[in-house]
Amino acid sequence: MTDLEYLKLTKTQKFVYGLKKFFVSIPRWFANLGKAIVNGIGGFFAFLGRDLKEIGTTFIQGDWKTKLSFLIMGFGSIARGQVLRGLLFLLFEVVFIFYMATSGVYWLGKLSTLGTVGPHEEYNETLDQYVMTYGDNSFKILLYGILTILFIIALIYTWRLNVKQNRIAEEILATGKKLKSGKDDLRSLVDDQFHKTLLALPLTGIIVFTALPILFMILVAFTNYDANHNGFSNALFTWVGMSNINQLVTWNNGSTNFSATFGEILTWTLIWAFFATFSNYFLGILVALMINKKGIRFKKLWRTILVMTIAIPQFISLLYVSKMFSNAGIVNGMLIDAGIIGFDGRIPFWDDPTLARVMVILINIWIGIPYLMLIATGILMNIPQDLYESAKIDGANTTQQFFKITMPYMLFVTGPYLLTSFIGNINNFNVIYLLTGGGPANQAFSTSGGSAGYTDLLITWLFKITTVDSNYKLAAVLGIAVFVVCAGISLIVYNVMPSMKNEEDFQ
Amino acid sequence: MATVKLTNVKKVYDNKVVAVHDFNLDIKDKEFIVFVGPSGCGKSTTLRMIAGLEEISGGTVEIDGEVVNDLQPKDRNIAMVFQNYALYPNLTVFENMAFPLRLKKNPKMSNDEIYERVTKAAEILGITEYLTRKPRALSGGQRQRVAIGRAMVRDSKVFLMDEPLSNLDAKLRNQMRAEIILLRQKIDTTFIYVTHDQTEAMTLGDRIVIMKDGYIQQVDTPQMVFDMPANLFVAGFIGAPQMNFFDAELKKKDGKYYVEVENGRFEVRGEKAKMLAEKNVGSQKITLGVRPEHMSITHEKREDSLRSRLEVNEMMGSELHLHMVTENGKKIIVRVPTLTMDDETKKHLSYGSELFVTFESKAMHFFDPETTNNLLI
Amino acid sequence: MSAKTEQHHMRMSTKNRLSNTVIYIILILMSLIWLIPFICIVLQSFRVESTGQVGYVIPKQWGLDNYVTLFTQTSFPKWYLNTLFIAVVVAVIQTVIVLCMSYTLSRLRFKGRKLLMNFMLVLGMFPGFLTMIVLYTVLKDLNMIMENAVPGLILVYVASSGMGYYVSKGFFDTIPRSLDEAARIDGATRLQVFYKIILPLSKPIVIYTALTAFMAPWGDFVFARYISNNNSAGMNVAVGLWSWLQRDTISQRYTLFCAGGVIVAIPVTLLFIALQKYYVEGVTGGAVKG
Repeated sequence: MTDLEYLKLTKTQKFVYGLKKFFVSIPRWFANLGKAIVNGIGGFFAFLGRDLKEIGTTFIQGDWKTKLSFLIMGFGSIARGQVLRGLLFLLFEVVFIFYMATSGVYWLGKLSTLGTVGPHEEYNETLDQYVMTYGDNSFKILLYGILTILFIIALIYTWRLNVKQNRIAEEILATGKKLKSGKDDLRSLVDDQFHKTLLALPLTGIIVFTALPILFMILVAFTNYDANHNGFSNALFTWVGMSNINQLVTWNNGSTNFSATFGEILTWTLIWAFFATFSNYFLGILVALMINKKGIRFKKLWRTILVMTIAIPQFISLLYVSKMFSNAGIVNGMLIDAGIIGFDGRIPFWDDPTLARVMVILINIWIGIPYLMLIATGILMNIPQDLYESAKIDGANTTQQFFKITMPYMLFVTGPYLLTSFIGNINNFNVIYLLTGGGPANQAFSTSGGSAGYTDLLITWLFKITTVDSNYKLAAVLGIAVFVVCAGISLIVYNVMPSMKNEEDFQ
Repeated sequence: MATVKLTNVKKVYDNKVVAVHDFNLDIKDKEFIVFVGPSGCGKSTTLRMIAGLEEISGGTVEIDGEVVNDLQPKDRNIAMVFQNYALYPNLTVFENMAFPLRLKKNPKMSNDEIYERVTKAAEILGITEYLTRKPRALSGGQRQRVAIGRAMVRDSKVFLMDEPLSNLDAKLRNQMRAEIILLRQKIDTTFIYVTHDQTEAMTLGDRIVIMKDGYIQQVDTPQMVFDMPANLFVAGFIGAPQMNFFDAELKKKDGKYYVEVENGRFEVRGEKAKMLAEKNVGSQKITLGVRPEHMSITHEKREDSLRSRLEVNEMMGSELHLHMVTENGKKIIVRVPTLTMDDETKKHLSYGSELFVTFESKAMHFFDPETTNNLLI
Repeated sequence: MSAKTEQHHMRMSTKNRLSNTVIYIILILMSLIWLIPFICIVLQSFRVESTGQVGYVIPKQWGLDNYVTLFTQTSFPKWYLNTLFIAVVVAVIQTVIVLCMSYTLSRLRFKGRKLLMNFMLVLGMFPGFLTMIVLYTVLKDLNMIMENAVPGLILVYVASSGMGYYVSKGFFDTIPRSLDEAARIDGATRLQVFYKIILPLSKPIVIYTALTAFMAPWGDFVFARYISNNNSAGMNVAVGLWSWLQRDTISQRYTLFCAGGVIVAIPVTLLFIALQKYYVEGVTGGAVKG
């Protein structure tokens, strides 16, 4: 269809056409994804091949300093006067060898089994009795095993760097120029290599405290690490392959198993995230419009009152509101005093599954509107006034202006925010946990995977599985599941919304 | 005060887009060079490579004989004026101009000397009274002066300007253009100036580098670029309104050259005929170019004229811009001075009236329709 | 003005007045809904006749008993100091880290920048709590849990704070890049560009980052509860006060919770209201730029 033909279509036809186009594009999208993956892998091996070849030529064409550097890292650099660089390379090699010799090899050797000697009773001659003796520690084996592998990768990378350095140095010397001195190197850390200086600290933190633990937990999903196999004091844990994942994906109707619970909680999580995101979004914009309407006075007062909910820590406001609506709380008490309900007619705000779900969404609106009000106020101010002026001249009334100008503009600029906020709500621990603690309890859930309740989200369920049941393997599986859900939604949105694609567009 | 030499300079972006192809240029000491071309032609990229703001993908840039490819911008001893002025908003005008001086090491500059230099530059630029203000309290033109001042205070080898006037309104732009010419006489250093405006290029440059799609089209003095454009692109780019182009036939007969355009037949006389003969150009299809200001109109048909219909008559004061359509539907523009126009012609200048357009041999430019190159070069 | 347009004008303004009245009513109602819980919590903190939940708002007997008890007979002062200390330290370190990260990603171009951003995007999609299982064991080895939870918590908060660079990167993105370029040509190193040119322009985002970093530890519940692991000496206010509202404690501690809540909320709220301007700039900028 040409553009001009498209323009002739009615609204419904356009919609149908758009929908068709979207669905047609899905297989193409997957095909592209597949192609990208294949290309990526191919590219990787091509790169590897090229790199190996280059290493070879470096060795063959290099002088003896270079050749020796293949064994003793940094030798070439030191011999050519770049002492600082060379020493760093050498230091890394020495530390690596020391680490591998003292413990690295040990951890690596045990990684495939996660330990063989569990806790057992052993005869102690001096005491003349059997005493509890602890053997391997699966947790540490896994953790240090990963560390060792990362260390090896780091060594290979550094070694490659060291080889490259030699080649570059030789090339520079061949043109008759001088090499950079240690002083130059240090100076470049505040100039053209400034990013390294700035990123060193933040990245170390992220790698050690986020990336590594997540990698660890992904691997835990393939073990039987739980309360009965804590890896040290009661029993070792070991690799179990896909069995945990299988628990999640095999749907076994009738009996209450893990996958059924997961299915229900996932459904509720998505429903919650949808309502929590969009109710806040639209109501927040509405409130912002009301406060900012011309002729409304005390704008600052209204705004400040609402903003209080952002300022006051959520655990105070949420816990308090939760108690307000409890059976013995103020709301029920006042309703009884007012004679609206009888003494045993207390409204079970937190005990009725549906009511509890509605309540968390409503109270989340109370928490969320102020944020959206602030954001929407900022954006509303940025909408060019001439758009409204020209719309007025074209004969649009207030409602039409809202739907034809305000909303499209808002949606366009807040598209990325909506996605972030949706993902944030999937992981909205505080609101659920502080309000209901996940309750009311669902009897159907109780036999499988912890004491999950009707308002539990994946994230609060994950918390309970970890803290109450110590069922780490399932927690790991759940964590991966949350990732898959979030990543899936983001990918779809990224591909549908044009405003998200280009980072530079917003600059 | 320095020479700048670019040898086979190339810029390839990560996404494999080539912004600048093999760029070769020798800039003499104290020369004023202008890079001109439409947006995306690579002129700014080239300038930024000279400045060190953009990595050089291939070739070498030399300043005063020294290859500067691997030098940081701060070590190249250059000054630059940006299109959006790039004044530091947190600093006063004085501190803005003093900024490069305060960063100077070995020898470190004394406070007195800095004061001396900044006030002197401010005086030249007429911004002394604003020295204590912050940039946001200045108008566009004043900001541009400060930006120039900041570049002036240091004795840099090369003075780079990246579209310095394009954020100013038309009147101010003309005024600043004149001031840059004056400035140039005062600071007497090597200038490289980037613009998309051909008027700026013509008025400022000792030599003009015309670029398109990352390729140099022509490097020459303003006069030569105007008189002898190397190809259709240059011919169309330099001069306003644009040169008129016709599909034409060049005929060589008895040692004489004729150009046949539509129903008109023009004999090529004088210098141009001699040049054609020297280049040994035979009969062939050509693209004929004639500048609007080199055309004239009559109201009676001649052999060497083109019958056209007037569509739009723009009164520019000293001259008229006549937008016309030839018999073959070709749109052309003719510039006619009002002062010398006779009354008879004036009568015929209404919408739809029929006129005849003619031009002399001197005004003709011959291009090869295939290669678009000037046949006389 | 003709009679007809005047009439039209009148109609418009009546309509306008009507809609404004409706809006005022809605806003007043909303303000009440938003304020009532906070009014209740303040009122109940002065209730001395009973300590549990009751069905009325206005205390029958007023007094400061709850506040006195709070500071003399409970661990609240300890929790408060814990939280304050954590908040201050985290605010300082996290601001530095976030600035480093966001500045680098916004204004410096280097190999692997896109890769790094994608890496963090992917990491951010895993529930943060997942890391806790591992970190708990590691912190246990370092003796940074239970009564020593404070340094442990600081470490955990600060370590990953580089991931929260989005808002301040959005801010840096809006500063024209030619400023950096001009400064570098003028002879500044990148470090000098950072602290001489960009940092002085970044006051709003520095305050925003510090403010959000300062406020987060007051409300954090998940990590704090896990690391303090029921040891009162290592709790922050959130975990401590939460423990007072459990089934077996609420009847003695409910009014204490209210008093504690007031003591926590007042300084944080005042600080927030005072710096509101910067917060608003931050969230709007962040939302628009993603």
